Amino acid sequence: MSLRESINGTTLGDRILLILLLLVSLLGIIFVKEVLPRSEEVIIEVDGKPSYRYPLDADRAIEVKSSAGHLTVEIKGRMVRVIHASCPNRLCEAQGWIQSGAIICLPNRISVIVGSRGEQKDKRVDAITG
Amino acid sequence: MQLQDKHRIALLSAYALALHGFESLIPMPIPWMKIGLANIISLTTFILFGFRAAMTVTLIRVLIASLFSGSFPGPGFILSMGGGISSVVAVEIISYLSRGLFGPVGLSLVGALFHNLTQLFLAYVLFIQKIEPVLIITPVLVLIGTVTGLINGLVCDLLLKGLKNNSVTIQNTLR
Repeated sequence: MSLRESINGTTLGDRILLILLLLVSLLGIIFVKEVLPRSEEVIIEVDGKPSYRYPLDADRAIEVKSSAGHLTVEIKGRMVRVIHASCPNRLCEAQGWIQSGAIICLPNRISVIVGSRGEQKDKRVDAITG
Repeated sequence: MQLQDKHRIALLSAYALALHGFESLIPMPIPWMKIGLANIISLTTFILFGFRAAMTVTLIRVLIASLFSGSFPGPGFILSMGGGISSVVAVEIISYLSRGLFGPVGLSLVGALFHNLTQLFLAYVLFIQKIEPVLIITPVLVLIGTVTGLINGLVCDLLLKGLKNNSVTIQNTLR
């Protein structure tokens, strides 16, 4: 009577079930991480249209071109900034790192917005006046 | 039910409660995570004495454990009761359908899986009512349940072998 004996005494069904459950749960964990909407993402609007979406928790640098110019956006450590802009006054560069809200570059007609996917769906116009 | 059966069920329930109490002393990395050591007794009871005895032992264990820990009518009690009942029922059905295909380890894995799935379902229906957190936690719980189910199954197998050997030696000495 030993643990080794018990392990060797398991039936084929036991082993298949164990491997199946481990596989399914591990795949499930990966699936949930990849597919389910992350809490926050970076949306880059070019010429008024949302053109790029990136998760906030993956570090990367993005080159964005619009009809008026181009921007280099960096995502790092759940924060976003504009590294380089082609416009003259470069206010967006001066804004630095943001965790929420938006960096808007008017001359280049590019907006970098940090928001959650759920929020974006829920955003509706309450009323319009004027 | 015969007197002998009553004694057996009382003894097995006491073992299950003792293991349940012992388990609460073991620190866990996640607060709601449990090994479910008491399920070793439920499973052993099921294999030795069948469905009814196992169900009785499980019900007694859940009820008394929740009375001791003070979670009697609360969410914790409902979740452990649901998990306990469904895992015993699932083990009965699976062992009936697949006669001989699964040993104690396989049955333990089945029990752990249904225990977790029922608790998740109950938690979703009664308390959370949002599908996203449930979906996120489900594979993690199933993975943990598979590991603890494996441990419990192996311990149950050792226990069954030990009981078998002991009964043999007792019979030998009596002769």
